[in-house]
Amino acid sequence: MSAPPYSYSYIFKYIIIGDMGVGKSCLLHQFTEKKFMSDCPHTIGVEFGTRIIEVCGQQIKLQIWDTAGQERFRAVTRSYYRGAAGALMVYDTTRRSTYNHLSSWLTDTRNLTNSSTVIFLIGNKSDLKDQRDVAYEEAKQFADENGLMFVEASAKTGDNVEEAFVETAKKIFQRIQDGRLDLNATESGVQHKPSQPGRTTLTDQSPKNTCTC
Amino acid sequence: MDCLQILPKIQAKLITGENVIAIYEVVLMEGWVKTSRILSLVENASSYGFFVFNFIRNLDAISEVVINYAFPINNEFKINVDFEENSDISLTITFHKVKLLFEMMSCEKTKNFISELHRISEMSSKKENFLDFAWLSKYMNEATLSRSEEDNFQNHEANGQIEDTQVNTDLFVPRHSIARGTTPIAGRESAVRYQMTLKENDYTYTQSIRIFVGTWNVNGQAPSCSLSDWLNVDPEPPDIYAIGFQELDLSKEAFLFNDSPREEEWLAAVINSLHHKGKYRKIVLIRLVGMMLIIFVKEQHAAYIRGVATDTVGTGIMGKLGNKGGVSVRLDIHNTSLCFVNAHLAAHVEEYERRNQDYRDICSRISFPKFLPPKTIKDHDQIYWFGDLNYRITELDASTVKRLIETNSYDAILIYDQLKQNFKAERVFEKYKEGRITFKPTYKYDTGSDEWDTSEKNRAPAWCDRILWKGDRIQQICYRSHPSLKISDHKPVSALFNSEIRVIDAVKYRKIHEEVMKKLDKLENEFLPQVMVDTTEIIFDKVCFLEAQNKDLIIANTGQVPVQFEFIKKLDDSSYCKDWLHIEPYMGFIMPGEKCDVKLEVYVDKRSAYELNSGKDKLYDILVLHLEGGKDIFITVTGTYIYSCFGMSLDVLSRINIPVREVAKEELIMLEKNNDYRLGDPYPVPKEIWYLVDHLYRNGMKQQHLFEQPGLHSELLQIRDWLDTGVPEQMRIFQ
Repeated sequence: MSAPPYSYSYIFKYIIIGDMGVGKSCLLHQFTEKKFMSDCPHTIGVEFGTRIIEVCGQQIKLQIWDTAGQERFRAVTRSYYRGAAGALMVYDTTRRSTYNHLSSWLTDTRNLTNSSTVIFLIGNKSDLKDQRDVAYEEAKQFADENGLMFVEASAKTGDNVEEAFVETAKKIFQRIQDGRLDLNATESGVQHKPSQPGRTTLTDQSPKNTCTC
Repeated sequence: MDCLQILPKIQAKLITGENVIAIYEVVLMEGWVKTSRILSLVENASSYGFFVFNFIRNLDAISEVVINYAFPINNEFKINVDFEENSDISLTITFHKVKLLFEMMSCEKTKNFISELHRISEMSSKKENFLDFAWLSKYMNEATLSRSEEDNFQNHEANGQIEDTQVNTDLFVPRHSIARGTTPIAGRESAVRYQMTLKENDYTYTQSIRIFVGTWNVNGQAPSCSLSDWLNVDPEPPDIYAIGFQELDLSKEAFLFNDSPREEEWLAAVINSLHHKGKYRKIVLIRLVGMMLIIFVKEQHAAYIRGVATDTVGTGIMGKLGNKGGVSVRLDIHNTSLCFVNAHLAAHVEEYERRNQDYRDICSRISFPKFLPPKTIKDHDQIYWFGDLNYRITELDASTVKRLIETNSYDAILIYDQLKQNFKAERVFEKYKEGRITFKPTYKYDTGSDEWDTSEKNRAPAWCDRILWKGDRIQQICYRSHPSLKISDHKPVSALFNSEIRVIDAVKYRKIHEEVMKKLDKLENEFLPQVMVDTTEIIFDKVCFLEAQNKDLIIANTGQVPVQFEFIKKLDDSSYCKDWLHIEPYMGFIMPGEKCDVKLEVYVDKRSAYELNSGKDKLYDILVLHLEGGKDIFITVTGTYIYSCFGMSLDVLSRINIPVREVAKEELIMLEKNNDYRLGDPYPVPKEIWYLVDHLYRNGMKQQHLFEQPGLHSELLQIRDWLDTGVPEQMRIFQ
């Protein structure tokens, strides 16, 4: 008996970046667990989450790296950009400073990923309407000028969270089909048809080398 | 695994006369996890048992083996092998209601094991009635017992209370065993495959289809008449036609070159006579000399037909040639596999033993090699076997038979039918079924008439042409002959079946597939390694030259799986930490609920002292604590370095006329950078050198082995403090 494909056929690596406290971990948690973490501690390091989604009839496994936003870790978190197929760049719609730093995050992303990496801008905390500090139109213009995809989302209500992750995957998949994203490139951030599925792959995906010291 | 090591342990479980003939280590899929097992084939007086052993590993050695399952290899024992290129082989063993799925590596050894298993199964199925499996029962009991113990234990630990295992198996995750690290979570592919197999009934439904099976020995004749009276007699069109011919061509050319113009003629005749209400597509035609089998399906089903394969077997002259034998077609329709066999068995009244043998030869030799390992006839959900099987009526003379036929007393004759007799004695067509015969014998007629054979032989009429089937959910609607077709000395026979096939409900399949995936996502995140560290900021207050300081970092495994941790390098660094830091251990393994103390030691030696003095480095580092297969934690290490003259250039020292400790950090950096920068008047010799030499000259001249043996570390630290703080009185202790 043969049946439709049993498991995923692609693995996409994502990173989530942005200033401290913009809600990166909450977005990840909302996406993987469909829950809001109300008192989420600062991420000191890089958290890891995974979920399988369907895009254009393909099962795609997302491996998501959620990075620490604190400035002092900036140099270290740069290690994690390498080999990301998607970068979710997050700011807080209620804190202008987090928006102002976007160009620096964007510079890092452009420098440290490859040209086919899909960058998605997320204005988080859209539920806090009366505290808004960055106008939608302004951010939209920034996104357009820099060729980014953009939504305002809320990790609290879940509004637009799924869309951001899925739209990014769609775009990546589209780039694979266009041939813009070379599957054979070592750092495309995409793996096709894992021969060793599951946890093994997950480890192999780790962007770091083991130390021989 | 070392077979030599495990073999004696397994043999010790058995008694004399029971021989282990093969062992093999595999991975058993159970629920959401996989575990290592040992498969073993055990022989006792030509009967074979299939054993699954669980084992307990102590360090590297196998300390104990426990029987997990024991099955007799008999007709109830089913083997199914799934093989995909570049991937593991999955072996499914079904025995009664137990279904086990094993994963095996794709290698020569696996293939040998599986073909051995097939060979034994094949052999056993042929002579099952002579085999005694009584010896296995004690092991089967033992296995049941050991499994129930395991289940109780697992249920207990999973829920703290006993729940119905039937309901629970699907969701059951042996957390305890995963936590111990003995049970890896199953690879995604295999977990999904296994779960989907378990849930097959939930996403498939049964659908009835009509299968028309026809057989006719045409005695080498050309199709000079319409076949409608045979193929187009039912009110509704069948979904599948399986039409078999024998003696399609009796010419030497057909026999020698398997080349026959009759093939095309009969195919055309068949196509013209298919049911007038149905639109059909020919799926396949297979012919060996005079035996031909054609499969048609209704247009609407064609898209759901997959895995079509054919094979032929000659059992004629020399046991090989194609004047007798069988041709077979297998295919999958939706989720059900079908196999059709059209056979022409050995002729002559007295040769029933040879016919039985032909049947067995066809069974063992028909094989569909496009599957790996090849599928055989019995590996199908439904089997339809038909043809000129040539069994005759014995022990009744021709005239009695003919008289009984006049009165339609077929049952009285069938008592003497060789097929019925051999079937009853279980010498042929084991587990097959045949419908009740309510039609006249189909052989032998005078060609072109309905008259019994008038030749000298005066043979008794017989039901040579038969249709049998095997498999569940098959209902025969009718079984009949078609005497109006007179061109041959045989009459055609046909049977109509109502067969239930399993169809995948695409919507349900997706839904169930999604559920399985979600569950796996959840498990995967839940079983990511998790640790807590007691701090992410390690602060050393005052770090002095050549003076080690230690701090502990406690890593506690708070997750559900064993954790392999390691401090790893950052992007462009050559090491996972700075030179002045030492981490012990820098990698390790922590069981859930346990913790690991990591010692961080700061030690500034002359090389790192220079880096620190010159401002090229500072006591600040971010360590990346990586959990294999999971997240990373950043540990910040900071400290205040107490500057020392050690590690400074002589040039800089000569430009400082106050003790080093009194110099501000910024000034030290300026001094290193800028040759003209100085604090006070420069000395021709650095004052620290001068102090040392002066002290030695005054107090050390009589010291034996001066410069030959190293000083005490404690003294060194005192000298350092003396030089850095400029309090010469302290030097008196060295006098």
